Amino acid sequence: MTIINCMLPFGLVKDFDDYSKIVNDILKHDITFNILKFSTGSNGINLLIDIPEDKTKTITESLKQNNIVVNKKGRVIIDDEKCIDCGACISLCPTDALHLDKEERLKFYYEKCIGCLLCLSACPRFAIEEM
Amino acid sequence: MTKTYNEINEKIKNGDVVVVTAEQMINIVEDQGIKVAAEEIDVVTTGTFGPMCSSGAFLNFGHADPPIKFEHLWLNDVQAYHGNAAVDCYIGCTRLSDVKRFKYGGGHVIEDLVAGKPIRLRGNSYTTDCYPLAEIDTEFTLDEINQAILLNPRNAYQRYVCAVNSSDRTLYTHLGKLLPHFGNAHYAGAGCLSPLSNDPDYETIGIGTRIFLGGGIGYIIGEGTQHSPTNQFGTLFVKGDLKQMSPEYLRGVSYEQYGTSLFVGLGIPIPILNEGLAKKTAISDAELFTDIVDYGIPRRDRPKPRRINYEELKGEYIELNGKKVKCSSLSSFYHARKIAETLKEWIQDGKFYLNPPAETLPTDTVFKPMKQTTKIKFVKDLKRNAIICHDDCDLKTIAEKIIDQNLNHIIITDLENTLKGIVTSFDVTKAIARDKTDLNDIITKKVITTTDNEPIDVATRKMKLNNISALPVIDELNKVTGLITSEELI
Repeated sequence: MTIINCMLPFGLVKDFDDYSKIVNDILKHDITFNILKFSTGSNGINLLIDIPEDKTKTITESLKQNNIVVNKKGRVIIDDEKCIDCGACISLCPTDALHLDKEERLKFYYEKCIGCLLCLSACPRFAIEEM
Repeated sequence: MTKTYNEINEKIKNGDVVVVTAEQMINIVEDQGIKVAAEEIDVVTTGTFGPMCSSGAFLNFGHADPPIKFEHLWLNDVQAYHGNAAVDCYIGCTRLSDVKRFKYGGGHVIEDLVAGKPIRLRGNSYTTDCYPLAEIDTEFTLDEINQAILLNPRNAYQRYVCAVNSSDRTLYTHLGKLLPHFGNAHYAGAGCLSPLSNDPDYETIGIGTRIFLGGGIGYIIGEGTQHSPTNQFGTLFVKGDLKQMSPEYLRGVSYEQYGTSLFVGLGIPIPILNEGLAKKTAISDAELFTDIVDYGIPRRDRPKPRRINYEELKGEYIELNGKKVKCSSLSSFYHARKIAETLKEWIQDGKFYLNPPAETLPTDTVFKPMKQTTKIKFVKDLKRNAIICHDDCDLKTIAEKIIDQNLNHIIITDLENTLKGIVTSFDVTKAIARDKTDLNDIITKKVITTTDNEPIDVATRKMKLNNISALPVIDELNKVTGLITSEELI
């Protein structure tokens, strides 16, 4: 079995019905799986699931078609030369990977980033790039 | 205790002036009291660094040979305003590039100019006897032109609102990207460092006040446009020499699907002439309030769910309708602090003296709305009767109604007239082509709708954004009251 982390960030939700997509998509594959963790918050819905190894690829792909972010980490880089520490990206980040440090400068926590890319177009300086 | 400008300037000259930032002043007043602070502190510096759309620059290029009198001109493909003498122009920061559109605008031209980069100048003319040159295509840098004057009619808002979005789609606004269903919140303004918030009665601020502007020295030349002091939305009209400024404090920015602007760094020194000013400059984020405004309602008077102070705004999450909403700033507090610190150093080093304003800013002007001579039209004024089928009907009934009524859109409701979906003549055609017979196979259930009191332009924009040609009109109970199609809008 393989553990995958599915995330449906709030900013990608067009309709509240979309929340049922995570589970419905997995159910389509006619398998038994364990839900290890299910959480909802103001930033979106998060699901940690344990699925059969041979189905990982098909399940991951069908989830991705519905804007669900699967198992992604650190997919953006910040260009410090262009960044002006305004914070316009921070409210878009569903995992607190972007935030201001004590000096009010923008800090990016690679390990928290799930690669939803919501921050990309929110940057008025084009300082955030997809890796 | 009172102090004069002359006494403070004498201290600057002697090198024993005591300057602190407005952020540091909070603790000083708290620890030592207003009386001691007023005696010991001579100047409090402020700062702000955020997008200020009413910014731009006057440039003078000198004369060409043969001379040209511009009719139209472009700087790096951004059109500049020409309505002055032959070779003067005004480049406004929100003007978009004809070529790069949202990615580059007048604000970026100003940043590039100050950074010393060459700027391409293209222009044309209808020609006159004294200005015979019809076209020019050349390049210049900041050093090569005569005057380059930053002239911003509205800067340094005393405070700004916090924007949220109650609607069901992402909005792209002058306050950034706002997620649906109150998904996030954006605010602007430096809070406790905000220049006008530290002298809210404008005792020391007015025409002629010397300030930090874009990394150089600038001047306040009056109240800004839309100056609204009675509700703490004062603004400033400022000018300064671009040739002294730095690209660190003038940054071109692009807001997705909204447009371009210019981040302007601005700081004002406030002389502590009396105890009242010591108290005012000690204002904290917790004491500075603004409104949360719902941009989901596209009207001039938008709903304001509640008041909020800058302390809560700066805390990354705000509380709204019992929910935690992620909140961030659009202006940089890091740079605001740096501006206040830089201004402090300039004064301590004797490079910057304070002066009384020739006239202080008005405290009673009112920000009026636009006078509109044509009445705005609402959906209720133009809607037509919707042709309705119930959700248990067959496709033949729908097809017959389309033909009988000569209409492309049939609204599907339940027996209580509640909206269930929409079917178009194209959907029916598709059903025949693909051998579908059930209404459920072709109905669109997620319908974009409008209401009686929505302005026509808002409904039109919904159709344009969603690439559709009709909107069912519903009431607050989701009951259908009519239909509006692109035909009514023509």
